[in-house]
Amino acid sequence: MKDLSELNLPQNVLYTKDHEWIDTTKDTIRIGINDYAQDQLGEIVYVELPQAGACLNKGDVFGTVESVKAVSEVFMPVSGEVIQINADLENAPELVNSSPYEKGWMIEIKASSPDEIKTLMDREAYLKFLEGIK
Amino acid sequence: MPALCVIRYSAIMTTTLTPWYFVTLPISEYGKVKDVQNQVVSGKVAGTFDAEVVIWVEHYPVFTIGRHGGKENLTVSEDFLQERKIPVIAAERGGSITFHGPGQLVVYPIVNLQKSGLRVPEYVYLLEQVMIQTSQEFSVQARRNPTHPGIFTENGKLGSVGIAIRHGISFHGFALNVDIALEPFQWIHPCGLRDIKTTSLYQKSGFPLNLKTVQQSAQKHFCSLFGVEPVRTGLAGLGKML
Repeated sequence: MKDLSELNLPQNVLYTKDHEWIDTTKDTIRIGINDYAQDQLGEIVYVELPQAGACLNKGDVFGTVESVKAVSEVFMPVSGEVIQINADLENAPELVNSSPYEKGWMIEIKASSPDEIKTLMDREAYLKFLEGIK
Repeated sequence: MPALCVIRYSAIMTTTLTPWYFVTLPISEYGKVKDVQNQVVSGKVAGTFDAEVVIWVEHYPVFTIGRHGGKENLTVSEDFLQERKIPVIAAERGGSITFHGPGQLVVYPIVNLQKSGLRVPEYVYLLEQVMIQTSQEFSVQARRNPTHPGIFTENGKLGSVGIAIRHGISFHGFALNVDIALEPFQWIHPCGLRDIKTTSLYQKSGFPLNLKTVQQSAQKHFCSLFGVEPVRTGLAGLGKML
C-alpha cells in the first residue's frame, strides 16, 4: 500500500470519502477513481459504466471496477445526468491504474444540483480524511 | 514475500481493538446468508456497527453468478437445473459462475479493508493462504495459479475466491471443496475456466473428512494469518447488535 506521501493527489480536482475524484473546472463534470483507490484495488481487469443519458442521484452506484476477483462499487459524488462515458476503458481497463486522472477517467455528467459540489473535499481535506482511516 | 509480512503486521496492529465475531451457521440457503451479509455491510457503512464479522457456513445446492456475468459458462440448460431444483442466483462478488453445495466450506469475512490496512491483492492472497494451510493439514498440497485467483492441485481447482467491496467494506469470500459432490461442476466452466477440472480434499486425500473438522482447522489458520482473537456468536446474537 502506498504511503500518503506517495499518493498522486492533484490540487485541481475534488475528492469523496469513497475515493472518487471530480473535476469541476469545465462545463461538464468529469469523474473517476483516485490514486488511493486504484492502488487499493490492484490490477483492474474490468470496468462497468452506466449508459449516457442515465440520471443518477448523489450516492447512487454508477458503476463497478473489478480487480483480482474483487468487484468494487463506485458512487456518484453529485447528482446529475451522464453525458459521456470513457469507452476506452472497455478494452483497456488498466488505464484506471496507469492514468487515473487522465486516460482513466470514467464518466462526464451535467450536475443537477450544483450546490452538492460544496460537500466535496479539496486535496488537504481529503488527505486529513485518509490520515483518519489509516 | 516480505511486503506481505509488513502488511500482515500492520493488519494485526490496527485491528486488535476491533472485535472479530465468528458466526458459525448450520447448512443454509445462499440467499438467506447473502441477506445477513448485506445487513452487516449496511450497519458498517452507516457506522452503527463497527465490528468485523466472519460467517462460516455450508450451502444447499446453488449456482451463483458474479457481477461480471457467468451464465455463458453454464453448459446445461436452466430447465435442466430447475428439474434438479438447483437455483441460479446473482451475487455481488467478482468472478464468474460457481457452484455451492453440502460438503463445501464457505467463509464470508465482512471486513473494513481500509481500517485493516490491507489492499485487495494482499487480502485475496491471505484468503488463499487460509485455504492452502488448511488443505496442508489434511495432507493435500495446493498452490496458487499465476493467472487465476483460487487454489489448485494437479487434479483441478480446490478452492475459489470472490469478493465484493462496498464503501471500503469487503464481503463474500472463499469456498473450499471438502467432500462436495463434484458432478455439478461439470455443468459449468467454473469461474469461466474451460480447461480446469474441480477437485475436493476428499478426492485428493482419499479419506473421509468431516466438514466441522476442516472448518475448525480453517478458523485456526484464519486467526493466525489475520492476527485476530475471535469472539464467537450466533445469528441471534449478531442480529441484536445490528
